[in-house]
Amino acid sequence: MDSIRRSLLGQLARLSAGAALVPIASLASAGINDQPPRREGDSSKRYGMLIDLRQCIGCQACTVACHIENAAPLGSFRTTVSQYEVQHQESGEVATFMLPRLCNHCENPPCIPVCPVEATFQRQDGIVVVDSDRCVGCAYCVNACPYDARFINERTQTADKCTFCAHRLEAGLLPACVESCVGGARIIGDMRDPESQISRMLDEYRDELMVLQPEKNTLPQVFYLGMDERFVTRPDAEPVALEVLDPHGKEMGYEFRH
Amino acid sequence: MAESRVDPSRRRFMKGAVAAGGAATFAAGYSDPLLKMGKGLSGSAGEKPEHRIHGNSLTPEYSVDPESGELTLNPDQRVAFTVCYGCTTKCGVRVRVDNATDRVLRVAGNPYNPLSADEHLPMRTPVAEALRGLSAHGDQGQHNRSTACARGNAMMAQIDSPFRVTHCLKRVGARGDREWQKISFEQLIEEVCEGGDLFGEGEVEGLRAIHDVATPIDPENPEYGPKANQLMVMEATDYGRSALLKRFAFNAFGTRNYGHHGSYCGLAFRMGSGAVMNDMQKFAHVKPDIQNARFLMYIGSAPSQAGNPFKRQGRLIAQARAAGTLDYVVVDPALNASASHAADHNRWVPIRPGSDSAFAMALIQWLLDNEGYAEDFLELPGQAAAESAGEVTHSNATHLVIDSEGHSRRGHFLRVSDLGRAEAGSDGDVPMVMSESGELVDSESVMRAALFVDREVSLADGARVRVKSSMTLLREAAHEHTLAEYAAHCGIPEATIVELARRYASHGRRAAVNCHGGMMSGNGFYAAFAVQMLNLLAGNHNRKGGSAPGGGQFNGTGSGPRYDLADFPGKRGPQGIFLSRSRFPYEKSSEYQRKVAAGENPYPARAPWRSLAPPTLTEHLPSALDGYPYPIKAVIGCMANPLYGQAGLEALVADKLADPRRLGLFVAIDGFLNETNRYADYIVPDSVMYEVWGFTGAWRGALGKMTTACWPVVEPRQQKTQEGEPVSMDSFFIAVAKRLGLPGFGDEAIPDAEGNLHPLDRAEDFYLRAAANVAMQGEPLPAADESDIAHAGLAPLLPKLERTLKPEERGPVAYLYARGGRYEDFEAHFDGENLTSAWKRTLCVYNERVGTSINTQNGQRNRGVPCHSLPKLADGRDMRGVFSEEEWPLLAFSFKSNLMNSYAIGLERLRMIKPYNPVMMHRQDAERFGIAHGDTIRIESPGGSVVALALVGEGVMPGALGIEHGYGHRDLGATPHVIDGESQPDLEWLRAGININDLGFEDPTRSVAGTWLEPISGASVRQGLPIRVTRLAA
Repeated sequence: MDSIRRSLLGQLARLSAGAALVPIASLASAGINDQPPRREGDSSKRYGMLIDLRQCIGCQACTVACHIENAAPLGSFRTTVSQYEVQHQESGEVATFMLPRLCNHCENPPCIPVCPVEATFQRQDGIVVVDSDRCVGCAYCVNACPYDARFINERTQTADKCTFCAHRLEAGLLPACVESCVGGARIIGDMRDPESQISRMLDEYRDELMVLQPEKNTLPQVFYLGMDERFVTRPDAEPVALEVLDPHGKEMGYEFRH
Repeated sequence: MAESRVDPSRRRFMKGAVAAGGAATFAAGYSDPLLKMGKGLSGSAGEKPEHRIHGNSLTPEYSVDPESGELTLNPDQRVAFTVCYGCTTKCGVRVRVDNATDRVLRVAGNPYNPLSADEHLPMRTPVAEALRGLSAHGDQGQHNRSTACARGNAMMAQIDSPFRVTHCLKRVGARGDREWQKISFEQLIEEVCEGGDLFGEGEVEGLRAIHDVATPIDPENPEYGPKANQLMVMEATDYGRSALLKRFAFNAFGTRNYGHHGSYCGLAFRMGSGAVMNDMQKFAHVKPDIQNARFLMYIGSAPSQAGNPFKRQGRLIAQARAAGTLDYVVVDPALNASASHAADHNRWVPIRPGSDSAFAMALIQWLLDNEGYAEDFLELPGQAAAESAGEVTHSNATHLVIDSEGHSRRGHFLRVSDLGRAEAGSDGDVPMVMSESGELVDSESVMRAALFVDREVSLADGARVRVKSSMTLLREAAHEHTLAEYAAHCGIPEATIVELARRYASHGRRAAVNCHGGMMSGNGFYAAFAVQMLNLLAGNHNRKGGSAPGGGQFNGTGSGPRYDLADFPGKRGPQGIFLSRSRFPYEKSSEYQRKVAAGENPYPARAPWRSLAPPTLTEHLPSALDGYPYPIKAVIGCMANPLYGQAGLEALVADKLADPRRLGLFVAIDGFLNETNRYADYIVPDSVMYEVWGFTGAWRGALGKMTTACWPVVEPRQQKTQEGEPVSMDSFFIAVAKRLGLPGFGDEAIPDAEGNLHPLDRAEDFYLRAAANVAMQGEPLPAADESDIAHAGLAPLLPKLERTLKPEERGPVAYLYARGGRYEDFEAHFDGENLTSAWKRTLCVYNERVGTSINTQNGQRNRGVPCHSLPKLADGRDMRGVFSEEEWPLLAFSFKSNLMNSYAIGLERLRMIKPYNPVMMHRQDAERFGIAHGDTIRIESPGGSVVALALVGEGVMPGALGIEHGYGHRDLGATPHVIDGESQPDLEWLRAGININDLGFEDPTRSVAGTWLEPISGASVRQGLPIRVTRLAA
């Protein structure tokens, strides 16, 4: 990233990302109030993801692979890649900006304390999950997430979200989105293992990493490299696909609206 | 212009979420749950998922122990390697299949395949190790992924699509009525072969009657060839089965007429490439060596948005920009996914559609005027000089061309024979050059020659002629306009052009250009010729970091070490001219000679004859339906859809295609009912991907030699023949050939290396023998072991190997399929600064074949060097001279989608991400025509009118309107067909969006009906269609 775009906001974002890394090294529970105890999962691990936006080509392979792997209902997404048209503030050049999005598996997840039945919880390996046996589909968690990462699954009527493909991680395999990332942008791994690829990259790029909405104090554990700081806060974006038209100009609506 | 005061960086945020689907973003998660709360919904009323935490996520296909790395297969699933049909890249994929249901669960990349994994595994890697290498164990799977793209992931839904045809169909009612009845395969074969009053509309000639290789179509025009040419066979592209299709068409049935999608895909580019590479037969082309290049210009092509190989170049460009080894620019009318501000050193440069020749000739002018070319390389006059300089080949930059007006040899090289010093056409009859000391010498006799020559010489017959070197001719062409004129025409500021030229030159032989479908404009051939000339001026062919011709294929369907699949007893060669009048000089036609004999001007010909062009489907179909040069009696189409793919074709020919008097018989082989085979008389239900056999290669984009093998990794879902074989393209051609008694099929059809003959009764008789040829050529592959067979899911294949192949062939063939093909090991592929897979022909600054060919519409000689011209209609008039800018102020162009393709609209997982294609319009144009972002607009062209949604912004060239390809369907599910009285589902969303080809038009300057085609190549023009827009509603 060039120096031109290192504005004040960017400084904040980077500092916040750096701060978020600290508690990981010294065990995650410290200093986080209101969070119920973590349970299940492997307490020796802390999973996180690093997304190297320089290598994201916006192909949506992750979106579709995840959708198939996790049997999400049509029109609901555990991960997707938002694509924006951006203009360079100095040169005026126009380019695309790709922003892969998923659950941030925050260190201080705001979705968990709001659950009235303790269906959603954080595992000891940091993965935020939903127990569908307990979930009543109230959607408090859906609304509590500042990243729009949750939805109510229309089939199960329970809260649904990215699990970092915990079922695959437990089998020693990669999550569908990581495995299918054409540009090689998505890196997952155990941040407690200093030899893991993600640990080494977090170390190497510590000063350049950003997270989304650091001001919310959620301490996201999905880190972005090559981030346009204008997207650290929720972009005030107008959706492009406004109306789906039939050949005569008649509005058809979104096919998969729930 | 109040808007201009808005902070541009803020305003640009208004363009959110183009690809990830508008309505389908995460934000959708907000509204519905709130609604449910409002209704007081409580408890989990939905279906209970499989697992309380993992929901309905798939069970892993295998597991890898985190400590030991030991791999344990899931006995309920298998993983098998085959090919993806999601686009023409044809990537090798790994397919997860549920053993109990035979359903495909998910698809990713084959780690052995260079199109899916950039550092692909060596063949010797055991399959179990390859699977372990994809796992999280030691982060291995992240270091070298093998992926499928979004479409590659989504394509599996084709198999069980509600729109899939699984039964042989015969039309009910008139052609095109979308009503069918199911019939048996055997009835279909009988009716297609024997003809008769098949539809109550009168006699239809069957294939038996048309199969006449002795009787001429037209004794007045014997060059048209035999009646058998009145069968036309077309296919989408070679998805690995073309060898069998062509065996039937050319060598068994004996028709000349075959066509594929190339002429409405990228033919203008291919021919421009062929002109530089001295290959006017197959039109070879190159791809940049992205990993070692330092500066690349993508002109009308977009790595990571689309292109071939899509994933490989997308990933390499992403790596290169992250590593900072490469600068690149994308010169295109539309902003696309290639230009990213997440990394530096890349940039989008907008250009006006159809003006690439101006941009490229401006660059050429600057490079020539500023010595920004590879002088040392270009001065090498011949092979002797090249070898002594350590180069693989040389160019004809120094070769002298006869350029005297009216001389019979004008446009030819001045050769040794012209000076009487060699026999014309003999080995020693090479072009002449001017030595450094100013002597006329032959190009093989000196190590260096003058680049710029313009002088007179005396020929052996005493005539004085003017000769110019190829470089002089290029310089003259480049100086026909000033930089300012070029800049004004293409819309790129002169300063930008100069800056790009300077940067290009500064990187020497590690700078390259790449172009593709953006060249499908009204002067596309010369535009592509000019763009590719930039590679030659850089001297980057065959060079590390330059332009690579690719590693080629292991050919299994030729005369191989085990079987001869090219020749067979009774093999025929097709005779006569193509319907498209390609590859045949008009001057040798009876029509020309009759006109000359009658004292008439033979020009213009009734319709273009293109001696340089390959057979083009763009001309085949309309010409045949109009009966020029001759009518046809039957069409067999295989997955072909020219009515959707060729600009203006549907409006031009749909009525004629629906008329049984113009075309007696139309058989379509396809798994789906598309816009073209809607008009068929019969549908043969085909296998879809993962169910097919075949062999595919890399399309130049891989440096190593490779062949991807595909086999039916799941059982084909469609009807079976009486013999129990799946109905498919293969079984159709086999059955027709056997019924008609054609050679090359049935008993005694395939010779082995010992001369014994083997049958061709079922698909695997052909493809497994081809596999034996691939596996056992050169150093034969070893035999697969039990572990390979288990880990590559080969169990269903083994009985077929045993039934078909000789014992010694089975092990190596299983080894081949266990790795999904055969691939040269990943290695450097370099010999010093040269590529090991090199292009060895003389590279052309001047193309003699082009420079001596004639435009049959005006009788004028074509230019042998690239030049700038305006988009032309068939009679040579400028398009703008007929369709003025006043009346049609904008130019429409298309671009490839990174999600949708021309046959993917039925895939709901793609529709949910991008349901349709709003059109890209520049803010200035929007203001000019009173259109706001999100308005519904009407787009009109001389040939059609569509309704679209305007996407207003800065991401497109002013004056241009961008249309993403793949939407605006009328079939493939967009309109239900009725089969045995039962209607297909009616999903209006499959009709969403628009197709640029509905804005194509008939060329008004032609006498034989035709759409607007590029003059030299006959390629469909879709870049730069004249249009106007009006606002319909907000």
